[in-house]
Amino acid sequence: MSFEIPIGPQHPALKEPISLRMTVDGEVITGVDIRLGYNHRGVEKLAEQKTWIQNIYLTERICGICSHSHATCYVQAVEKLMELLPPRRGLYIRYLVSELERVHSHLLWLGVAGHEAGFDSFFMYTWRDREIVMDLLEMISGNRVHYAINTIGGVRRDIDEGQKAKILEGVATLRKRSEYYFAIGANEPSFVARIAGVGMLSKEQAVSLCAVGPVARASGVARDVRKEDPYAVYDELDFELCTADSCDVLGRVVVRVKELLESYKMIEQMVRNLPDGDIAVKAPRKAKPGEAVSRYEAPRGENIHYVKSSGADKPERLKVRAPTLGNYPATIEMLKKGFIADIPLIFAAIDPCICCAERAVTLVDAANGAESIVRMSELRRRALARAKNAPVKGNAVWPF
Amino acid sequence: MAVLRNLLYLLVYPGILFLFVYSTFCEWYDRKVFARLQNRMGPTHTGKFGLLQPIADFFKLMAKEDIVPEAADKGLFNALPAVGLAVVSTAALLLPVWNFDLGQPGWTSFSGDIIVMLYLLSLPTLILFLAAWSSTSLFSTIGGARVLTMLFGYEVPLFLSVLSPALLADSWRLAEIAAFYQKRPILLLANVLGFLVALVAVQAKLERTPFDIPDAETEIVGGTFTEYSGKKLALFRLTFDIETVVASGLLAAVFLGGFPGGAIVGFLHFVVKTLFVIFLLSCIRAMSSRIRVDQVIALSWKVLAPLALVQLLVSILLKGLLS
Amino acid sequence: MSDIEIVESLKRDLGARALEIANPDRRRIFLKVAPAELVGAVSLLRDKYDCAYLATVTGLDRGEAFELLYHFASPVACVSVRTEIPRTAPRVASICAVIPGAILYEREIQEMFGIAVEGIPDPRRLNLPDDWPDGQYPLRKDWKHVRPAEVIPGGKS
Repeated sequence: MSFEIPIGPQHPALKEPISLRMTVDGEVITGVDIRLGYNHRGVEKLAEQKTWIQNIYLTERICGICSHSHATCYVQAVEKLMELLPPRRGLYIRYLVSELERVHSHLLWLGVAGHEAGFDSFFMYTWRDREIVMDLLEMISGNRVHYAINTIGGVRRDIDEGQKAKILEGVATLRKRSEYYFAIGANEPSFVARIAGVGMLSKEQAVSLCAVGPVARASGVARDVRKEDPYAVYDELDFELCTADSCDVLGRVVVRVKELLESYKMIEQMVRNLPDGDIAVKAPRKAKPGEAVSRYEAPRGENIHYVKSSGADKPERLKVRAPTLGNYPATIEMLKKGFIADIPLIFAAIDPCICCAERAVTLVDAANGAESIVRMSELRRRALARAKNAPVKGNAVWPF
Repeated sequence: MAVLRNLLYLLVYPGILFLFVYSTFCEWYDRKVFARLQNRMGPTHTGKFGLLQPIADFFKLMAKEDIVPEAADKGLFNALPAVGLAVVSTAALLLPVWNFDLGQPGWTSFSGDIIVMLYLLSLPTLILFLAAWSSTSLFSTIGGARVLTMLFGYEVPLFLSVLSPALLADSWRLAEIAAFYQKRPILLLANVLGFLVALVAVQAKLERTPFDIPDAETEIVGGTFTEYSGKKLALFRLTFDIETVVASGLLAAVFLGGFPGGAIVGFLHFVVKTLFVIFLLSCIRAMSSRIRVDQVIALSWKVLAPLALVQLLVSILLKGLLS
Repeated sequence: MSDIEIVESLKRDLGARALEIANPDRRRIFLKVAPAELVGAVSLLRDKYDCAYLATVTGLDRGEAFELLYHFASPVACVSVRTEIPRTAPRVASICAVIPGAILYEREIQEMFGIAVEGIPDPRRLNLPDDWPDGQYPLRKDWKHVRPAEVIPGGKS
């Protein structure tokens, strides 16, 4: 019996809207189609109308989880165009936040993977520990999600001795707990049985389909921008490139766990060796004409921004490629011949950030009147009208 | 007088009212244990320690809008939740906690009631499948197919492991089996393997993690329950709560020495032992992740069934030794 | 291989086909080829320079012409292949046969700039909705977003 099941645009396994259409034969998937476009905000077009500074905050809002990645990637490119050299202390703080963000993103992903596999205890524990790093980020930047710490030419906030001590303390706790939970996760047979051998992506496929980040590294492709193209402080840090050869979801878990431990190491190095000096230099209002390609290793893989300047105070063109978009062709391959039960796991294993991947277009999709735009006030009016006719009594009394 | 007594028996204790209260308490207990194992608080808000939360959930669902899909088989779709509740409540009446008098087999305690009980516990699974099938949603259909596939896996190990203590006790009546082990508690140790197999099988029957495959929300939305809402969903949830009580009561009666000591002490035994079984079930739930349906079948036939057979063999050998 | 060696080697291999090679920054190489030479240059990069990884394809609207930049990355450098397409005949060959992972980027270029990618295995739209009007290409510079008049069903607009 062959039929098509829709996963999305709204589905409990998806935290953001995307549409996966699976043709299944019993429990086995025979065909996959990914449809994008439910999350478009027209960021690239919008960026052409904003100044260099405004665009930092725009790019930061491309994504909610790896917000710092996009902002940093953009700022790197603009600094190249403006020929600025940020002070080393500023760079250290910027990439300290990067690594903290990687820790929080990977912990989040591990929890989500546990939840998608029905292992809710794992989810609860990893998310409890994620709070530690979220608190550290809030302490450094004042925000939990959009840190807004980048500015052109450096960072906006300094850190002091007390904060350094707190970061080291938090990282020590996290390392201890992470190691313990991962030992438990790796020894839980039902979890391992669920993720081993699922979502296979061979090394050749990973190369030819241009997979990025942990997905590529779990297939044995040693591709990490921090090593290949050591931007800013990464050539001064001692860390390992983490890969796995198992090519499945288990491998992707292993890679991310190893990266977590490497990130803890890097955070400690950066905090201990934090140089003295200023945190930012003054940036000009306009950039010289030119173009720059900026690469950044986001938690989900390589993030690449292309910025072109025409000498004005606004970019001529800003092109954003988020890592998730690069992983979609590989995902289609991974899903084929899998089970329905594995869809959420395989899809979650690329750590999809759907709103990252869909930033490009303009905001209307209702231009033709098929779906008309409704004002908020009208929505409220309709809701009130509906509430009056609704069968539930307005003044219901709780029975206890 | 007899009519009144029977009516009380059916409606108050141990009938629907008691079952409602006790099963919601067990749901609260299960949720609390599960939450504490996950470093959460669990229900705290409604009632003391959140004790009334499952009841509040039940009444909230009762008040919600009830939607029946256009394409569904309406009669079946509407009737099945009530039938399911009736079936598990009937099964609850057979537990030897309220019919402990050995010399007086009545209409709720008779030779062969263990078999009837096992079949009554199988029925909700079939009802679930019918409910899923009759709602015609894509996700429900897949869920229903998974329910049946799983049934073929865990049912045989469950029967084998529950019936081998009965074989040793040489009785098909729950009260007599319990009495047999109360006289010779040492023999309970011979059934530990069977208890473990039955525990896993019951976990599968109740569709709890790692066997919550038919309603795996991240895969097939609500699974079997996708189209159910309001009162019908409330009844289904109550059905599963009561099934948890009945199944853990069955395990306690067969493997943990039953409920000796008459109405009051026996009832205390019942509470302690069912809560113990539910505690073990909650631990399994907290410590494992959902597995695939093919892995359930493999587990059932490659691990559970052989172990249950070993248990059967042990029982037969012991019986020969004892006689 | 250092940047200078790559540039020299590219000059040798491509000869006159390389219209322009620039190395503005460390590990950044910009190579310009004619649209007809694109697939050949890409295969050469893939086979000889370990550039099997296509990061993305950037489209640029330069007024009278479109520019496409194919950003490749090898472990030692990031090579961007630039090609210029006249606005009057917006057409380019697909590189999906050489780099299968290019499919999504080519679909995006196709719908955003209206550059027909010839030989693309899957020509559907990527991001834009199915009912998007033909001939509207949002990332062209002359495309302006016109907010449609709000229509409130059953109410005054």
